[in-house]
Amino acid sequence: MSPKNIMEYSYYPGCSLHASASEYDISTRELFKQLKIGLTEVPDWFCCGATPAHNVDELLSLSLCAKNLELADKVEGDLAVACAACFSRLKTTQHILAESPVKRKQVEKAIDAPVKMDSKVKHLLEILARDLGLERLAAAVKKPLKGLKVACYYGCLLTRPTDVPNLDCVEAPTIMERVIEAVGAETVAWTHRLECCGANFTLSRPGVVIQLTNAILDSAKAAGADCIMVGCPLCHGNLDIRQKEIEAVYSTEYGLPVFYLTQLVGLAVGLKPDKLGLGVNIVNPTPLLREKQLL
Amino acid sequence: MSLVNKQKIPLSQETMDVDFVRKVEALSGTSVRRCFQCGKCSAGCPMATFMEHPPNRVVRLLQMGQWQRILAGRSIWYCASCETCSTRCPNKVHLASIMDALRKLSWDAEGASKESYVQLANKLFLQNIRTYGRQYEMRLAAVFNVRSGQFLKDLMLGPKLLAKGKLKMFQSKNKNMSEIEKIFSRIEDMRAKGEAL
Repeated sequence: MSPKNIMEYSYYPGCSLHASASEYDISTRELFKQLKIGLTEVPDWFCCGATPAHNVDELLSLSLCAKNLELADKVEGDLAVACAACFSRLKTTQHILAESPVKRKQVEKAIDAPVKMDSKVKHLLEILARDLGLERLAAAVKKPLKGLKVACYYGCLLTRPTDVPNLDCVEAPTIMERVIEAVGAETVAWTHRLECCGANFTLSRPGVVIQLTNAILDSAKAAGADCIMVGCPLCHGNLDIRQKEIEAVYSTEYGLPVFYLTQLVGLAVGLKPDKLGLGVNIVNPTPLLREKQLL
Repeated sequence: MSLVNKQKIPLSQETMDVDFVRKVEALSGTSVRRCFQCGKCSAGCPMATFMEHPPNRVVRLLQMGQWQRILAGRSIWYCASCETCSTRCPNKVHLASIMDALRKLSWDAEGASKESYVQLANKLFLQNIRTYGRQYEMRLAAVFNVRSGQFLKDLMLGPKLLAKGKLKMFQSKNKNMSEIEKIFSRIEDMRAKGEAL
């Protein structure tokens, strides 16, 4: 452990963070560095298989996740996961393999190694809210996000399913609100916090995504939010990248910047915009942040 | 007897394929008999409006052993795996796992829907893992458009995403690619020998 760090984690970024969600990766690394939390990327990690793998082949999905857990075990610390889908798959795999000796045996044969069951898989939110703690997080704030009204969007996979021990209450989670309020922002009460955005249908059936995502943007806007905060690259892609298209289809204007949780928390602990990848967001967040005197 | 194209199937001993339902239950680790049709799954399902059989009816058809009506349609391919249904079921029927089991059993079921773009996207996604170890989003989108004949789909998004660095033109291969190939081929091998589901 590096002496300057107060905690150490192994880090599983997931595929999106190396491409379409690069700002999530940049801001996560910078935020954790600032908070003196060590992140060591799991060497040569593989795709977790996400939804398509378990959709068509459960054994493949379980094997890919078990392989990643094995790779992660070689790095010190609990496993920090940024993407909600990777997080859900890795946790679900641990749960299924603990419950079913038959499936476990098949997976061990497929990866030709014993399954690592005891490693702890944690989403970044959990690390900020529980391991670091809200008090320590609040103490690190240099520029409180005063006056910024945030709609916290959980989407599907952060809190589900209910039988896997998880992040927070499955129907009424508050972990995102607690984290962002700890750094000075306001949160809004809104209806679509847990509704699905259509996720990977963005490739195969974009029309579905546009319809579902429009309802989410509409609800956030109606609740008086200035912006949306997410912890999942697919939610971000659908809300941010497709926002202009949705506005055109429904002849409306939302103009809601969509932030990763690490971007907003990073801003509050005093990181500069270039360290948070704010220039990468498609809906330009600069006018809003200037208006709130946060830039 | 080809039942697939019929909209409705009379309920009888002959039409009730209990063996198939047992396979679904074994794969999903959940029992369809626990469902008492409260409809809470369909009420919360974000995709129900796109399905011809909403989630509670999928379970009802399984209870009656009429799986052909489910597999011939698009319901299972419009499930987003958001798991709202499993979360809210008062009887702990894990509907999201049932959907996974049905999609898997549709591989070689006679009369199952094969047209779906969703299936194409899933297939390309898994091919990418086998070839690169990780997702290669640029290639995934490009190949999907070509293979689905929608050459212009999301064309306007491309340059913007490239300029922002959100799409990578080249993907570096994972260093231990032989490991991933071994996992894929071991699973194929186990299936061929009947050692895996």
